[in-house]
Amino acid sequence: MDKSRRNLLKGGAAAAGAAAFVAGYSEPLSRMYRGLSGTSGEKPKHPIYGNALEPEYTVDMGTGDITPNPNQRVAFTVCYGCTTKCGVRVRIDNRSETVLRALGNPYNPLSSDEHVDEATSVKDALLTTTLYQDQGWSKRSTTCARGNAMIAQISSPHRVTQCLKRSGKRGEGKWTAINFEQLIEEIVEGGDLFGEGHVDGLAAINDYETPLDPENPEYGPKTNQLLVMEATDYGRSALLRRFSDKAFGTRNYGHHGSYCGLAFRMGAGAMLNDLARNAHVKPDFEEATFALFVGSAPSQAGNPFKRQGRLISKARVDGDLEYLVVDPALNASVARSTTKRSRWVPIRPGSDSALGMALIRLLFERDGIAHDYLAYPNAAAAQAAGEATNTNATHLVITSEGHPRQGAFLRQSDLGQTEAGAEDDGVLVADANGNIVPAAEVTKATLFWKGDVATAEGEQIEVQTALNLLRASAMEHELETLSEACGIPISTFRRIAAKLAEHGRTAVVDCHGGMMSGAGFDAAFALQILNVLLGNVNHAGGSAHGGGSFNGTGAGPRYDLANFEGQREPTGVFLSRSRFPYEKTSEFKRLKEAGQNPYPARAPWRKLAPPTLTEHLPSALEGYPYPIKALIGVMCNPIYGQTGLRGLIEEKLRDPSVLPLYVAVDGFINETSTFADYIVPDSVMYEVWGFTGSWSGTLTKMTTACWPIVEPRQVKTADGEPVSMDSFFIALGKKLGLPGFGADAITDAQGNKHSLDRAEDFYLRAAANLAFTGDVLADATEEDIAFAGLERLLPELEATLPPDERGPVARLYSRGGRYQTFDAARQGDRLGNTWTRELCVWNESVATTVDSMSGKRLHGTARFMVPKMADGSAMRDHYPEEEWPYLAFSYKSNVMNSYAIGLERLRMIKPYNPMLVNRRDAERLGIKHGGEVVLQSPGGEVRGVAVVTDGVMEGCIGIEHSYGHKELGAREHVVDGEAVAGNRWIAAGVNINDLGFADPTREVAGTWLEGVSGAAVRQGLPVRLLKV
Amino acid sequence: MDLVKRMFMGQLARLAAGAAFVPLASVAHAKINEQPPRRGGDPEKRWAMLIDLRRCIGCQACTVSCHLENDAPLGKFRTIVSQYEVEDEATGDLSTFFLPRLCNHCDNPPCVPVCPVQATYQQHDGIVVVDSDRCVGCGYCVQACPYDARFINEHTQTADKCTFCTHRLEAGLSPACVESCVGGARIIGDILDPDSTISKMMDEHYSDLKVLQPEKGTHPHVFYLGMDDRFIDRPEALASVWDVRGEDFSEMGYEFSGH
Repeated sequence: MDKSRRNLLKGGAAAAGAAAFVAGYSEPLSRMYRGLSGTSGEKPKHPIYGNALEPEYTVDMGTGDITPNPNQRVAFTVCYGCTTKCGVRVRIDNRSETVLRALGNPYNPLSSDEHVDEATSVKDALLTTTLYQDQGWSKRSTTCARGNAMIAQISSPHRVTQCLKRSGKRGEGKWTAINFEQLIEEIVEGGDLFGEGHVDGLAAINDYETPLDPENPEYGPKTNQLLVMEATDYGRSALLRRFSDKAFGTRNYGHHGSYCGLAFRMGAGAMLNDLARNAHVKPDFEEATFALFVGSAPSQAGNPFKRQGRLISKARVDGDLEYLVVDPALNASVARSTTKRSRWVPIRPGSDSALGMALIRLLFERDGIAHDYLAYPNAAAAQAAGEATNTNATHLVITSEGHPRQGAFLRQSDLGQTEAGAEDDGVLVADANGNIVPAAEVTKATLFWKGDVATAEGEQIEVQTALNLLRASAMEHELETLSEACGIPISTFRRIAAKLAEHGRTAVVDCHGGMMSGAGFDAAFALQILNVLLGNVNHAGGSAHGGGSFNGTGAGPRYDLANFEGQREPTGVFLSRSRFPYEKTSEFKRLKEAGQNPYPARAPWRKLAPPTLTEHLPSALEGYPYPIKALIGVMCNPIYGQTGLRGLIEEKLRDPSVLPLYVAVDGFINETSTFADYIVPDSVMYEVWGFTGSWSGTLTKMTTACWPIVEPRQVKTADGEPVSMDSFFIALGKKLGLPGFGADAITDAQGNKHSLDRAEDFYLRAAANLAFTGDVLADATEEDIAFAGLERLLPELEATLPPDERGPVARLYSRGGRYQTFDAARQGDRLGNTWTRELCVWNESVATTVDSMSGKRLHGTARFMVPKMADGSAMRDHYPEEEWPYLAFSYKSNVMNSYAIGLERLRMIKPYNPMLVNRRDAERLGIKHGGEVVLQSPGGEVRGVAVVTDGVMEGCIGIEHSYGHKELGAREHVVDGEAVAGNRWIAAGVNINDLGFADPTREVAGTWLEGVSGAAVRQGLPVRLLKV
Repeated sequence: MDLVKRMFMGQLARLAAGAAFVPLASVAHAKINEQPPRRGGDPEKRWAMLIDLRRCIGCQACTVSCHLENDAPLGKFRTIVSQYEVEDEATGDLSTFFLPRLCNHCDNPPCVPVCPVQATYQQHDGIVVVDSDRCVGCGYCVQACPYDARFINEHTQTADKCTFCTHRLEAGLSPACVESCVGGARIIGDILDPDSTISKMMDEHYSDLKVLQPEKGTHPHVFYLGMDDRFIDRPEALASVWDVRGEDFSEMGYEFSGH
């Protein structure tokens, strides 16, 4: 053993709590003996309990009866502490209307282990969380550190509570408070709003008929000149998009996904044959026996955070799970106390496809694939054999070089057996005798087959099975090459492959945010295809798509909230040039006609990618494909979140001639909204309406209901409604005279019309849809209403809903949502909620897509890929190792999140983020533990503190995300001449995204994005490490 | 801020080298002090906590929920989870070790006899508490605790520490740290009740349970399952980097040390 590593027990940041314990002793010496008995300090409320909170209720340990504390109430809603959006139970002081603490909602699977059945009364559900019959431990329902600390957002000194209009230049931090009605008037009508010249209001942009660019009619109408962006669906997206997409009719909506986990999501979507919605899978932790987590670390981070943390701790103690965490840095998932169950495998960031392909290769070599399963060529054959899914492993792909249908599946029409596109134009397979037969007509097909077939035109074309193509792709690179690329020894590849093969269908591969690299799509696709080869999808202990969510905002059983008269259909090209082939643009045709090579495009057109905010905003500011006139952002902060964006667009964002109008809706001023012209104060968590969904890996179907369990603290409209995202869009819709808002905007199931003037008009009707979906919920009892703190809600139910809906809707809110029962999670060795599409070994959509930069087709199956720039050149061609010897990567914090830095109770545990530097690198450069270092990238530099550790891959620098803020309270803002002081502690630490840079291979500027998805690259940024 | 760092480092310097391996079964009941009589609390009960480290995910939910429940001053903790990077001496594998820390509610609490005004005492149910009406904030008990579990609350200027949330136990509710424990590592219960979850778990895992610094004879009543032996005593550890640096790398220190 390396002796120098002995005794290296390193306290992580939290260990510093020890210091705080000690520090406590430093002060009393000067305060000794203030009196014979007692001190001169503030007298606490109780001599023994101190200032502890009063219990929310008292339990009779004999009978289990609960007596509520009349000074408090408990209510169920959602937590905004991160994007998991757990259902929580919140203790509120009735006297001060302040939130005291938050815990988990026992009915909610995101917070509870075996969640309580909806049929259980609220009182009995709460009883399970108490010490009565010692249930509290096994039935606990929790919130995490963030969820606890987040209550401070409500009363934060940095919270925006008034409508603000900038009174200085953009980004100057000077504001004037105006009333809501003036704000709406100005945003809609425009004018010389800032003394800087005329600004078009939304009324001027509200033109759905006129093309915004007659030269390029495919760009769509002028309404596309409004970009609406939000952080994520915190339960209110349905109302937001009712305005943006359906009433105003802009094509341009974006959220944080493309700088969160999109590269992973598209890799998973390619495997699941769902590039439309990019569904993904998560392990069934409870039944899995072996799991490989790559760039995904349950209990360190990830969604759903608490649920995964709870399940992995249970699985490694009570279950049979053994797992490996493959990551550039050691993290919380690798637990010392269960060493035999969890181990860390270091990997170089951005190289995960090498691991994936090595494992695929070894599974082929050692015959570790699920042969029988993969050989079922259609769903019926698979089902007859007791399988829940089938794959396209046996389907034949046209591989003749240069064939117009190269990459597509061979279909009966190719052989002249039917018309192309006809209902019976099925894919073909090779049977055991090598005959080419329709996949639908056989129960087994050949896995590995390659040969020529004659087309209807008599042409001989080469075809081969999807699995053959995957194997060829895997055999293309030797294990040595792959090992060198990712830094994982070949022996470790072999050990992992052996485990996968040994555990088979209860072995599972999981990946997530670690895939946000310059080769992330290929990495995620490769790792996810391992699940197909193992045959674990839909299996207990395998990969789970999850139960999904109930939809209240669709055309529901009580109200049609999806459709309204005069509704618009967003059309035209997205700003991000997604889902639109470059080859169909007017630009492409013009270039072709002029005899010019249309490739590379001026900027990527990503046919497969969803609309991405990573491109929307910079492209709009660059004016390609077209400029915009207005931006509305809801809680959205791409400047902080997107790697390299600040350097790319900050100056343009400051310039009203480039972006004439920017309205932010948020309770806080963030790094992006600091450049806004107007800020609309929003409700913060516990004050909001909405319905939040589930996450994959939550095996049962669920929807969390959110309602203002405390009164929002920001200003009100002239009508007495809290100013919020909801009231803002409703007011905009009405002022613009758009359909879908105001009188008669909502139609019920009987055809009666109802108005949409208040948030309640929308959300309570959505609640009615949810309560009446499937089995109609029973009426809430008076006891339920009392124990769920619903008194505040009852007048709203009475004012908004007919009598027959009030009871079931109260029942829905009394449980904090709608849930499938726990026992629906599994059926025997299968998962209860299954993914029903054919799984892809070969994704035809991917294979037939032409890259707009290179003009070449993408590859339809997994392959080894190095991080690349937009034009397809390797990152290292531009930033060679000699100049940029290190790779920076980010990891999620287990305590902080990207907008939680204002919370003192998180800062006191983890005040900032020192950078992880490998011990050997540190020794080489003379960097000391705790010493100052500078990281330089092609786009910027950050300066910070080094933690010298063996817990990070050599040559790599780890940066915990969520620190290095410039806003959210870090700097001063002046409102009506009064300064709200900045807090310098909020600015502590560094943000990896400040190291991002513009992709030098594009004509129209953009940050470095993954090629297929347009996802921001933050894993594997080339950097220099300097000792200061 | 320097103070925090210096004291922490100073403390490390006097750490005993090598870790004691003393399972619960061999802990002697030797008294290190003459304990005053217990008062208050239910004599039919003995509250204790079992922390199953195998389940701890280090999320600090306990830390923050305790802080809110008990109104601790910012930067002071009645409980916290210390996180360590550890190397397996046999394999060289690195892993993360979490050590939730709180008052051990010792059966032989060294903090009690040193109190000059009998403000700190042990209840019949084993819970060690501080009567803030009597406490003069002298800090003797803070110094006497080998687990650094006490501090002087700058608001009340009295000794402050974990009470096992006795106000919640009396209401039939779990302590804040237990009810918020995401991994389910913390188990509270009455060890005099043979049917309690904690009693059953202690029976099942008796030979694997460890306590902190057993050689001190304090007989702690926070029992750890899955303990790395090196942590039974104070580990010899490289301190984490805790002090915040400003933009120009000037030392800002710890935000909450000024209280």
